[in-house]
Amino acid sequence: MSDIARARGIRRVVRATLGRAYPRIIGANRERSWLFYDTILPLLGTIAFVYVYKALGAPDRFVGYVIMGGATMAFWMNVMWNMAAQFYWDKQGGNLELYMVLPCGIVPILLGMSFGGFVGTLVRAVAIIVIGSVLFHVTYTITQLPLFLLIFGVGIIALYGLGVTFASVFLMWGREAWHMAELFMEPVFLASGFYFPVRALGFWVGMGTSIIPLTLALDAMRQLLFPESHPALLPVRVELTALVGLAVLFIFVARLSLRKMEYLARREGRLSLRF
Amino acid sequence: MATQAAAFPRNGGLRHWWRVVRVGYWLGWQIESNWTDPLLFFIYSIARPLGGVLILVFMYHVVARAGGTAMLGFFVVGAACWPFVVRGMMGTAYSLISDREHWKTLRYVYISPISLRAYLVGRALAQATSAVAAAAVTLVFGRWVLGVPMHLATINAPYTAAAFALGIAAVIALGLLVVSAAFLISSEAWRMPEGVGAALYLVCGAIFPVTVLPPILQALSRAIPLTWWLEAMRRGLLGPAVVRSLPHLADGQVLMGLALLTVLWVTAALAVFTLAERRARQLGILDRETMY
Repeated sequence: MSDIARARGIRRVVRATLGRAYPRIIGANRERSWLFYDTILPLLGTIAFVYVYKALGAPDRFVGYVIMGGATMAFWMNVMWNMAAQFYWDKQGGNLELYMVLPCGIVPILLGMSFGGFVGTLVRAVAIIVIGSVLFHVTYTITQLPLFLLIFGVGIIALYGLGVTFASVFLMWGREAWHMAELFMEPVFLASGFYFPVRALGFWVGMGTSIIPLTLALDAMRQLLFPESHPALLPVRVELTALVGLAVLFIFVARLSLRKMEYLARREGRLSLRF
Repeated sequence: MATQAAAFPRNGGLRHWWRVVRVGYWLGWQIESNWTDPLLFFIYSIARPLGGVLILVFMYHVVARAGGTAMLGFFVVGAACWPFVVRGMMGTAYSLISDREHWKTLRYVYISPISLRAYLVGRALAQATSAVAAAAVTLVFGRWVLGVPMHLATINAPYTAAAFALGIAAVIALGLLVVSAAFLISSEAWRMPEGVGAALYLVCGAIFPVTVLPPILQALSRAIPLTWWLEAMRRGLLGPAVVRSLPHLADGQVLMGLALLTVLWVTAALAVFTLAERRARQLGILDRETMY
């Protein structure tokens, strides 16, 4: 019996998580073209929005807004395409059935997808910020780095919690999964204020769209980056508290939803539904 | 025998070509739309473009500079036209890639007695049709909600219609070029159309006038028919009160430039497609599945 097969309890969960994260981290290094497509493509879209602000004659800080939005977009796209819709791809490739019969269950698989996706995306997001900032001569002054990192970390946990929730819902779908992931692009970029302060949507609309963790995370990080000029939705510490609440909520909902959707998908025979 | 001959007109004839386009169109439309009910499909069709235009509107409002509705009009027409590029150009490429990798039907389509080019044009037109609702809703939203000066009396309908037809031809030509590349590449094939779309979004003046780009990108943008198409559509729909990407040219010159570039790109696309198809077949990779 191999060491892996003998693993039990938390050790098994950790090993399965790392095992699922492995292809996402190492695979990206082996297939270098992914780095190009995942870094340059979001950057091209980001640059287009930089030029919109330039055409409007906007102050330079808006360029920083857009670059941050572009980096954040990489995380959102990772969550939608490589978390939420991942089980759809796995159905096509025949992997989903394998995940379902694993002794560790599906949760470590999702944790591994999240961890691997986060590490890979972090590299790309940093590349977007560095390249974008160099191209457009943007500088940032982070006033409270530990708080900034804390907000980022909590925001990411909440975001990937949302991703697991979506993954469980998408488990039921066939082709709809692809279209739904597409549907959650521009409307979410709008609702979360990827390219402008979310306060511009109005206070109550901004509060409503704060259910998407990136809304509050972006707003709080922008407050720390542009403390004197950013029109805040809420004070930073209130946003941090709300993000912690969202993280707990989404982890809880993800767990419940995963159980429910897995049961429904098994009952309705959708786990192996390819088209 | 005679009945059969009537049902399947001579291979290579115009009637046969048109029939293949129609069948490709029908199939494309089914794939595109039958995954859900019509209402959800309509919402799905309009949500992204409308989201895109609203992002631009809010960006405009947070800056709140002078310039009136001219810039809003620029955004609205660009956002209304861009889905045709996304669907038409990228959709053509995805048609081939999904037939090859997802549905695994490309080899059967290829060995059937039809023109692959005509089939893909049909699929592209179906994709472009799915952009009509988005374009219409975006224009109506721009006119009635954002107050963009777009009035029936001032719209130059023949000019706009000519520009639109040429633009769709250019989009399909671009689609065939991207398909030609997709024939020859493997694992990046799914991402490549998106890459081309993102690059075009940046250089063709979809959401900002190309005059703000660095000179080298301006020169590049003028070689792509989409830049001229978007400019012509803006002039046709908005009249003189529009921010221009090609300010030194008159309306007629823009349309002529668009026509000329479209002819060039269609010719190039047909030639490149033929070469790429031949090369892929020689290499034995025409139906190579690489999805993992």
